[in-house]
Amino acid sequence: MDPLLLARLQFATTTSLHFLFVAVTLGLVTLLVGLQTAWVLTGNPAYERLTRFWGQLYVINYALGIATGIVMEFQFGLNWSGLSRYVGNVFGAPLAIETLVAFFLESTFLGMWIFGWHRLRRGVHLALLWGVALTAYASAFWVMVANSWLQHPVGYEVRDGVAHLTDFGALLTNPTLGMAFGHVVAAALLTGGMLMAAVSAWHLIRHTADFTLFRTSLRIGLVTAALAVSLVVGFGFAQFGPVGQVQPTKFGGGADQGALVAEWTARFGPGDYAPPVLADVGLGFMIMIGMLLGCVWLLLPLLWRDWIIRLRVPLWITLLALPLPFAAVLLGWIAREVGRQPWVVYGLLPTGQAVSPVGPGVMLASLIGFTLLLGALAVANGMLFARYAARGAADPALGRPPAPAPEPARPMSVLA
Amino acid sequence: MELAWYALLGLFFAVYLVLGGYDYGVGLLLARGGGPDRRRAALTAVGPFFLGNEVWLVAAAGILFGAFPTLEGELLSGFYPVVAAALAGVVAVAVGVQLRSRPADGRARAAWDRVVVAGSLLAALGWGGLLAGLLQGVPLTAAGHVAGLGHVVTPFVAAAGIAMVALVTVHGATFLTLRLPAADAAPLARTARRLVAVALAAVALATVAGGLSDRVRAAAQRPLFAVLLPFVLFAALLVARAALARRRPGVAFAATSAALALPVALVGAALWPHVLVSTVDPAASLSVAGAAASGPTLALLGWLTVPLLPALLGFQAMCWWVFRGRTDGRAPVYW
Repeated sequence: MDPLLLARLQFATTTSLHFLFVAVTLGLVTLLVGLQTAWVLTGNPAYERLTRFWGQLYVINYALGIATGIVMEFQFGLNWSGLSRYVGNVFGAPLAIETLVAFFLESTFLGMWIFGWHRLRRGVHLALLWGVALTAYASAFWVMVANSWLQHPVGYEVRDGVAHLTDFGALLTNPTLGMAFGHVVAAALLTGGMLMAAVSAWHLIRHTADFTLFRTSLRIGLVTAALAVSLVVGFGFAQFGPVGQVQPTKFGGGADQGALVAEWTARFGPGDYAPPVLADVGLGFMIMIGMLLGCVWLLLPLLWRDWIIRLRVPLWITLLALPLPFAAVLLGWIAREVGRQPWVVYGLLPTGQAVSPVGPGVMLASLIGFTLLLGALAVANGMLFARYAARGAADPALGRPPAPAPEPARPMSVLA
Repeated sequence: MELAWYALLGLFFAVYLVLGGYDYGVGLLLARGGGPDRRRAALTAVGPFFLGNEVWLVAAAGILFGAFPTLEGELLSGFYPVVAAALAGVVAVAVGVQLRSRPADGRARAAWDRVVVAGSLLAALGWGGLLAGLLQGVPLTAAGHVAGLGHVVTPFVAAAGIAMVALVTVHGATFLTLRLPAADAAPLARTARRLVAVALAAVALATVAGGLSDRVRAAAQRPLFAVLLPFVLFAALLVARAALARRRPGVAFAATSAALALPVALVGAALWPHVLVSTVDPAASLSVAGAAASGPTLALLGWLTVPLLPALLGFQAMCWWVFRGRTDGRAPVYW
């Protein structure tokens, strides 16, 4: 088999998994900041319980975000050594900044937040969660800076066959960055909001304990989702202008496309410079789902006098709509990344030249091995997430007060 | 400039081996039986530090990519199976530790613990093998690519992987001696002392395998360091053994930490000024300066990240300070 195809399949698999989990991470952490801040400001214990319940789900989800993220980071060197060789001087910088400035602190803060309940002062504990959220956004920003450079390389010059950084500011003002970052962040909020609303709807449909708690999180989730979906659509359509200008082949059409392909043919030789049709398919379905999710606005009037709960059908709709934001997130990613083909760096480095010179056997073993490992862990993680979501907010392990000191040994099962 | 970044890369990877090393050591010691309570107590001892430990690896990889892009590509793809094994191990431990206590069922927890044991083993074998692989040179061609992967299959790589497993196990046991309640720490100190003997033997074996290897002798640019530093490593292990016997777990932990950081210093110093020494074409060897990113990139990274280093270290230190001391009945339990 072709190592290039195998390497691309592996990247697609890892990235897709990573994106599903980090969208939830980014969305939920924003909502958690709101919940815990409300708890610290008002002292209302209901917000503490909400923070612990949603915080525990957030932490379960976080495990796979890290795992897939580490594999992503190393995959650049394992499978795409040509990328580091030719453009590492430019593309590596934002990724290095992301790990040092953002992720390093995010995880350090999160460790202290998980174990800091009842040990740190409330203000410090809250500040840690704010730190987790801010560094998570910083992380998303720098990853998007790096990705946008692949879409539209700027601020560099090629000397001796290698790209060198000339203008870092250009990376930050990249026309493919701003709106896309807003789009991704809003999509994460939409995913987090819909997840919160759907889990709450499930509890309200089943008449589980904690009616008031899930009523509150249903409302928070739906309002967040409604606001976020408007932003998603806004930032989404705002990208057509810049993308059409700098990536004319991405979604086709326009006079620029022919000129650009002619230029590429002259520089890189004849070839098929149109991206696979999958990019357009992804875009179309994503827009359709986005429009469908826009209907979440229609549910908001039903929050009045709890009609949304009394009618029950809207709860079912909310629950059944849960896969939609996840599907849209993946389709959007496909549109952006597949639309970049056949380039790894648009108009600069063909994907085929970036793949590592390792044999197909190694590449295949790696693809199968990591897909099985991450896939199995993701499924296990999803099942645990669902079980904890269904269990409800009665005594989550996160933030449980320490046992009184001299108590006789309790059976471990009590510690959940 | 390149030297400063090279030192920073070494520092981050060495600190990762020290901090991640005790995670893996504790992970391996989960295999020693003793029931679910003892396994949970060990994970509670690691507890608040766990997430802050693995970030050093991610940051080291970030520095590698940002400051040494050419090295990043050739190193990782040139040692593909070794890096992939370490990576699979890192992932298994990261997820296993975070999720093992979420199922209420004891059998499910035991199954997750086996994932952590296997992951710890793979991670230690992989990183030990990678360091040895660097030390014995790589078939780097004039085109700048590592040709083939057969070069990693040597007795030295295997011995160094096993030595790393032994080192992290000693380190993990010493960490638990330092962190667990005093009553549980005493038997662990005895275990740790016995493990020191195993580690001494494993490191001696790796040193002999390295000394007998033509490739290592040819690749070492500064043989003095390659000869001297293993003896410092032996000394560190002996200090750890003596400190464990005298009930000084803090000193013992400092000594085992040094033992885990030393291999990184050894590889860096012995190969300097090169980082990848070619076994097929001496002229093709990749020097540290040649592997580094160009000036503007290094300057940018310096301006953006170096002022933040005190904050990174400060927040890590805050974590160690807040959760210092031995665990007790009131220690937060989550993993």
